[in-house]
Amino acid sequence: MPYFGSEEMVKELKRALSNPNVQADRLRYKNYITKVIRYMTQGLDVSALFMDMVKASATVDIAQKKLVYLYMCTYASDKPDLALLAINTLRKDCADPNPMVRGLALRNMCNFRMPGMTEYIEQPIVAGLRDKASYVRRVAVLGCAKMHSLQPNTDIDGTIVNELYALLRDPDPVVVVNCLRALEEILKDEGGVVINKPIAHHLLNRMKDLDSWAQSEVLTFLLRYRPRSDDELFDILSLLDSFLQSAHAHVAVATLRLFLQLASAHPAVQADALLCTSAPLLATCGAASRELRFAGLCHVQQVMRSQPGLFGTHYKRFFCGYSEPTYIKFRKMEILVELVNDENVALVLEELRSYCTDVSPELAQAAIAAIGRIAQTYSEKCLDILTGLLALKQDHITSAVIQMFRDLVWFCPQSTAAVCQTVEACVDSPQDSEQALLWLLGEHGDQISSAPYVMEGYIDGLKTELSSAVKMELLTASVKMFLCRPAETQDMLGRLLHYCIEEESDVCVRDRALLCYRLLQRGVEETRKVVTGPKSDPSMSVLTGRQEEPISQWASTFNTLGPLSGCDLCPQTAVISAADQPSSSAEKELLPESTDVTLSSPDDTEEEISLSLGPPLSHETFEKMWLDLEILQRQTMGFPRPRTALDTLQAALQLVKIQTLAFTPGATVPWKAYIYTRSTGTLILAELLQGDQHAPGIDESLVVSVKQQPVNQHAIRGFVSILKGVLQTLNVDSS
Amino acid sequence: MSRCHFLSRQERVLLQTPMSSHQVLICRNYKGDVDMSEIDHFFTLLMQQEEEGLVCPVMSHGNVHFLWIKHSNLYLVATTNKNSNASLVYAFLYKLVEVFTEYFKELEEESIQDNFVVVYELLDELMDFGFPQTTDSKILQEYITQKGNKLEVAKTKVPTTVTNAVSWRSEGIKYKKNEVFIDVIESINVLVNANGSVMSSDIVGSIKLKTMLSGMPELRLGLNDRMLFALTGRKNQTILHCLSDELMKRISPTNVKPLIWIESVIEKFSHSRVEIMVKAKGQFKKQSVANNVEIRVPVPSDADSPKFKTSTGHAKYVPEKNLVVWSIKSFPGGKEFLMRAHFGLPSVENHELEGRPPITVKFEIPYFTVSGIQVRYMKIIEKSGYQALPWVRYITQSGDYQLRTNS
Repeated sequence: MPYFGSEEMVKELKRALSNPNVQADRLRYKNYITKVIRYMTQGLDVSALFMDMVKASATVDIAQKKLVYLYMCTYASDKPDLALLAINTLRKDCADPNPMVRGLALRNMCNFRMPGMTEYIEQPIVAGLRDKASYVRRVAVLGCAKMHSLQPNTDIDGTIVNELYALLRDPDPVVVVNCLRALEEILKDEGGVVINKPIAHHLLNRMKDLDSWAQSEVLTFLLRYRPRSDDELFDILSLLDSFLQSAHAHVAVATLRLFLQLASAHPAVQADALLCTSAPLLATCGAASRELRFAGLCHVQQVMRSQPGLFGTHYKRFFCGYSEPTYIKFRKMEILVELVNDENVALVLEELRSYCTDVSPELAQAAIAAIGRIAQTYSEKCLDILTGLLALKQDHITSAVIQMFRDLVWFCPQSTAAVCQTVEACVDSPQDSEQALLWLLGEHGDQISSAPYVMEGYIDGLKTELSSAVKMELLTASVKMFLCRPAETQDMLGRLLHYCIEEESDVCVRDRALLCYRLLQRGVEETRKVVTGPKSDPSMSVLTGRQEEPISQWASTFNTLGPLSGCDLCPQTAVISAADQPSSSAEKELLPESTDVTLSSPDDTEEEISLSLGPPLSHETFEKMWLDLEILQRQTMGFPRPRTALDTLQAALQLVKIQTLAFTPGATVPWKAYIYTRSTGTLILAELLQGDQHAPGIDESLVVSVKQQPVNQHAIRGFVSILKGVLQTLNVDSS
Repeated sequence: MSRCHFLSRQERVLLQTPMSSHQVLICRNYKGDVDMSEIDHFFTLLMQQEEEGLVCPVMSHGNVHFLWIKHSNLYLVATTNKNSNASLVYAFLYKLVEVFTEYFKELEEESIQDNFVVVYELLDELMDFGFPQTTDSKILQEYITQKGNKLEVAKTKVPTTVTNAVSWRSEGIKYKKNEVFIDVIESINVLVNANGSVMSSDIVGSIKLKTMLSGMPELRLGLNDRMLFALTGRKNQTILHCLSDELMKRISPTNVKPLIWIESVIEKFSHSRVEIMVKAKGQFKKQSVANNVEIRVPVPSDADSPKFKTSTGHAKYVPEKNLVVWSIKSFPGGKEFLMRAHFGLPSVENHELEGRPPITVKFEIPYFTVSGIQVRYMKIIEKSGYQALPWVRYITQSGDYQLRTNS
């Protein structure tokens, strides 16, 4: 922010700093320097003072040195030529007898983010790595990483890397961890620092010397180590056992993650580790700082994906405190819903009931939704509560309750009668829930005696209704109602259709009305066939209710940002390069070996190729490639496409690692489908075509056109034979 | 973590449109891989989320993630473009708050502006290239002092700590009298429902040590309950969370009564008055005494003209927090006390909905633990073989102690 008169200020400071009288008086000199930094902090451009500040760095006062260094780091990238002048002073400081000064100078020199810096800092860094003071070594080790980040595309200096690996044995624990951190940065492209057996064992033995930050990071680095034998594995686990109960939440959680990964073949050990960590995790959920509490809750949620019963007895810890922020309360309610069982259901519901009347409408609605989810298992108790809430006559509550009713009726048909009885009472539903109410009225109009009159109210007020979704729901509901109670509905349905067809401006609503009208013209029976579907689908609740997942599903994102932000973020670099060998080129990542399938084709047993899916192609990329490439092979299959449903075909192709991008609907002629797959470094695109007008002779047979990049005839032959195999199998099945 | 910001935000609430202004107080760019202007997105996101009522301590903009905490009127924001370990970042941000609070007593906008030189120095030592370095405030205080403008040439001596093999303790520490003070602290968290049923009650136990020991001693602490902690000459203060199963089992909700039981009747007569009656009962053994008991009772925000009557201690109205604070210096076990309060209400009713804050209680009971945990022995082993005196103190105190009210 440009301050008024800032130029004057800079000039004045310049005058003062170059004044020999000021320079002689240390205290005054320093005060002026402090002033410069203060302006810099406030966002004022004081880069014009660079020369004067460089001079000020020649002092014995460490605090003053620090200020000047800070100034230089800030403006070095703007004034690279002047910064070079400062380098001499800094290099001199790097040889100072005082290790504090050496460390300080080295750190700041490495912080100069400007091109061409490398040649000046390389020698002091190498000297710093061998310094006898650990303070300087710590700085020098990270300096290596900074130096690399200045020139990210240059070759890696092998000697420095070796030196850093050697420094992993340093007596100072911070130097050890800094070495890991620096190597990780430098070797990023090669998959990061290599953790082999000696290093892993060394780190494990040093664990107790490290501070909590370092422990947590080392545990993350150890994720890439694979023990050779079970004996070694259990030795490692017993060494780490005490860290599961660490007072620092981040250490305990990092240990847990390592346990889960190392013991992936020993489910009993994993379960044991989870049990052990449950206490520290619960303690984190009650931590004084709300952010840590939030992080704890998110991790509890992840653990519960595999072990829903682990926290069952501690459900009371997830009751919300009054002053907790909403994001914590939301998470706690989600957890409570998962923890409900026969013993605690009464207390949990009582607790959730008290949140329903919270001042915050969002919280109240979330609590009602939570009760609604519990209602899918304990419908009776929840229905009582939900019905009781209606009596409060608060719009946001009523609206949420009615929406819950709709879901409940859909999932648990046995509660229909009770819901219908209650709905009877709430005639004037608030906004947002009109659709839900109309659906209930239409679907179960036979059980709600006042249904036609409620609906009539809506039809009369149609002119003032704004939402077209509500209007469409009203149309459907009225038609359904007409089918079960024609005498009461006929008149108003007529009015509704008339209004929607003649006066409605929204095309969608009009079309829906016309559809209903024409449907009714075909007769009642015809309409009934179309309009009335299943009234409930209890099997759907299986989908919404969580099943126990294997631990490996979430272990890879455990203790990252993922669980907190709710979505799966890019995996941590440590996980990508989890393999022991650091050489993982981009090519290999595209073709994950583990998902490869090897198929021997039925026709030609000699040709064996493996296909893999790899990352999905977007429609645009496919289209572009399809247009660019030449057709390499066109083959007539000699049989029509399988008569199975299209998703069966898609699933079958998926099974042999062929991805379906798009296909035309079943009955259209010509029928087309676009598919693709990958095989040993090539991408294969193909089109399936049936009923091409230009080639009427082969009407009934399927034609496959294949394009490929780069060309590999062997792969194409393999691909075609696999494809043929699948299609033939499907044909046999369907006939 | 690649960067750390200190931000302040003053909310200027104009009558029609709430406006907020913010300002970056201090920013330290540790890694240079996140653009400096990214922080502007932070406030846009924050304000957007506040409007929706769904604030979250992690926010993302593109590849950049913001992890933030709020301390009084300051926001501490860490920006990163890696998928880092969230709990570690939060723990570090809180560590920053802890360190700064030890330096400046209070961490707020003014103290940062007044001490920005020290703040820069500290930020430099606490973290380098996005990695935590020296974070122990005791050690930092050895070489970063607040009396920055005192010129001392002799001060350029390096503290041994930063060049030592042992990073958490300076070498050559000497005490005339070697002593260890052990505080066994149990915090009681209680949540009582409006109808008087105990929803949850648990104990968070911690053991704090203040050591005044020479050299590099090794400490061994023996507790009953088959819990044993070995500490190797660690920090002056080590906090151990002992929330093991043994403890939890004994403190199941059925047999632990809330130590101070509160019964309250809050009657609100709209447009005229509020009458509050609070009865407090000490449900711990008669020999023990709870000290500095504070019972905070919420009152409507538009209440006025308070009148109190107490059987012991004194009550005070704190209008800015809408509370009546009833403080009792010493509260013996088994005793029962009463407080009555009377407030007037304006005839024009406040239409804004108010939450129903719970009654909260604060207390401290010395020489008493609920779990019965005991320190059996404390062994101190040092090369020189001196004798050290361990002092043990047991305290039970209130943690999150809430009793919900009806009105």
